[in-house]
Amino acid sequence: MISPLAHNLTLTQAMIELNWDQWIEPFTHRWWQETTCCVLVGVACGVLGVFVVLRRMALIGDALSHSVLPGVVIALMITGKTNVSSLLLGALIAGVVTAVLISLVSRFSRTKEDSAVGIVFTALFSLGIILISALPQGVHFDLKCFLFGDPLAVGPDDLKMMAVIAPLVVLIVVLLYHPLKIASFDPVMAMAMGVPVVALHYLLMGMLSATVVAGLKTTGVVLVVAMVITPASAAYQLSNRLSTMLALSALFGALSAAIGMSIAFVTNSPTGPAMVIVATLIFALAMALSPSHGLLFEFIQRRHGRRHIQEEDILKAVYKLDTKEHVASPQADTGATLANVSKETTLSPGRILRLIELPSLRSLVTGNVNRLLLTESGKTRAEELVRAHRLWETYLSREVKASDSDVHTEADRLEHAHELADEVDAELGHPQRDPHGVAIPRPAHAAAPQQQQPHSTK
Amino acid sequence: MNTATTESPQTTPSHTASTDAANQTPAIRVRNLMVSYQGRPVLRSASFDVPRGTLVGIVGPNGAGKSTLLKAMLGLARPDSGTVEFFGQPFSSQRQRVAYVPQTGAVDWDFPVTVGDAVLMGRYGRLGLFGRPGAKDRAAAEEAMETVGMTAYRDRHIRRLSGGQQQRVFLARALCQQADVLFLDEPFAGVDAATERAIFDLITKLSRSGRTLLLVNHDLSVLDRFDTVMLINGRLVAMGPTRDVVTEQNMRLTYGGKLSLIDRAEAALRGER
Repeated sequence: MISPLAHNLTLTQAMIELNWDQWIEPFTHRWWQETTCCVLVGVACGVLGVFVVLRRMALIGDALSHSVLPGVVIALMITGKTNVSSLLLGALIAGVVTAVLISLVSRFSRTKEDSAVGIVFTALFSLGIILISALPQGVHFDLKCFLFGDPLAVGPDDLKMMAVIAPLVVLIVVLLYHPLKIASFDPVMAMAMGVPVVALHYLLMGMLSATVVAGLKTTGVVLVVAMVITPASAAYQLSNRLSTMLALSALFGALSAAIGMSIAFVTNSPTGPAMVIVATLIFALAMALSPSHGLLFEFIQRRHGRRHIQEEDILKAVYKLDTKEHVASPQADTGATLANVSKETTLSPGRILRLIELPSLRSLVTGNVNRLLLTESGKTRAEELVRAHRLWETYLSREVKASDSDVHTEADRLEHAHELADEVDAELGHPQRDPHGVAIPRPAHAAAPQQQQPHSTK
Repeated sequence: MNTATTESPQTTPSHTASTDAANQTPAIRVRNLMVSYQGRPVLRSASFDVPRGTLVGIVGPNGAGKSTLLKAMLGLARPDSGTVEFFGQPFSSQRQRVAYVPQTGAVDWDFPVTVGDAVLMGRYGRLGLFGRPGAKDRAAAEEAMETVGMTAYRDRHIRRLSGGQQQRVFLARALCQQADVLFLDEPFAGVDAATERAIFDLITKLSRSGRTLLLVNHDLSVLDRFDTVMLINGRLVAMGPTRDVVTEQNMRLTYGGKLSLIDRAEAALRGER
């Protein structure tokens, strides 16, 4: 007899054992086989996707994946069984036929390429579906697997095929890197140079059909185009060189496959869509974080720029109010009080207090609410700004012939580009006074030309 | 087809004289070139010579066949008839001596290449299918960037260039190819007046260094800066020194709305009455 306690124990033990099995299962031979195959598909699609994206052939990529159907079915009809190499050959032929038909339709009719693509691939896809119904009895074609993929159907043969195709695609792209680059960037010039642009186009189409058909079981026809264009588009956001874009795209493709497969297993959801969602998340991240034109970067830069301008406005306001006070009578309400600085800069007192606490202003501005003071270095910076403002005013009224009020507003904006002040100064021939007749301050480093002047006039 | 005799260009005597003086095969020799696009003749029986070192402006209204002429000469559009020779040889054997500078709008400026990469592409024609650019190619690219004043932008992405700088990159690419003949397709499209002047100065400099340049151009105000002007409207209306060619009658023939008898005959043959 087993006591209830003991019974409970064995039950818990069994549960632990069950869970254990469930957790270890993904790392069984089978899971690795499927994931490796998907990662290889991700790499090959990623590399080819770069050219698809750059040459604006996304629709053609979608078309190729659909129109390999008749090729696959005909291969099945002839051989009678799902032979990997004959399926691949059938798909390759169908892919190239699609590409040729598309260019024929767009060349010999008024139809533009996008419509030509639509016409050709839907026709071929329909032909494929009709052919399925004409298959001899006993030969089964799984249309659902073709459409939506089924990684569980990935067998050793598929893995072997991908293990050949993916490295081959990478090798061909590396070898033909330069011709592919110029044919994609400037096909007209490439053609004039004698680069076989048309042949390269069909080579890309061929490689794409082979990859797509080999990858069909992983994502299916409907989603495979995402594996082609999404990782490549993410890489596009982040790269300034084609080689970088290729490497990143391959990496993103592999990551989408690996992470997607893991998530799909853990959450027990379909694998193809999981890979596509991961790829899309990578794309969204790239879009937000891109260093040159990402949303986040732009936001930070704009904010940073605005803060910089506000800081300089505070410096100038304190300087102005301070010097005014020296000239006029020392009344309490005319000096650089917080209220006056706030009025001058149109910034709220709270904002000003917050800004002068920041490291960039702390060494330049001191004092309290009643009286803000500039340190020595703060004074130098403020003088630089005033100098830039007056130089820009002179430049605008002399070179651009702007009206006086425009000159002031525009100079208020341009003075923040004070690193150009010396150039403006030189361009204007080192003027002494601005259009209002006020002296332009001249810091030590810019004093040299002034001393040279007597020599040159001799 | 003997339209050649009736439609032959009014080649001025001085133009022929300069060819003789050079005592060399001309840089370009075109004979009876005829090109159609979708069954319609775009350019009819053009015959002309371009002596070495000339700066030629190709002028004509929209759809007159200017770009078609360039493309046919570069073997990019298949002519129905006629021959094109560069330095007495067919184009296929002279590819590297001929460079094409497309309109800046013709390429994707978001394409992931830097200025240096784009200029280096001028060398790709020499590399063969599997070649890689070497030190010599890089040196040529450096020199070309120096000539057009773009060295400081070498590592900048082409997206971050102004219209004038983009045109400079294209010119540098053609120079890097070390071509003797340059075809420029509307190099002033979309650039401001100051940039146009700067690019024209560069073009004049290249022309002085002995290169032959053909420019498709819209702007009639700069015609006097060319050595030779070619007026095109479906055919070669006239070609020669600007002073001799830019006459009221020629301009009317080029830009006037009146169809020539041949155009009307073509329309009748197509059944468009």
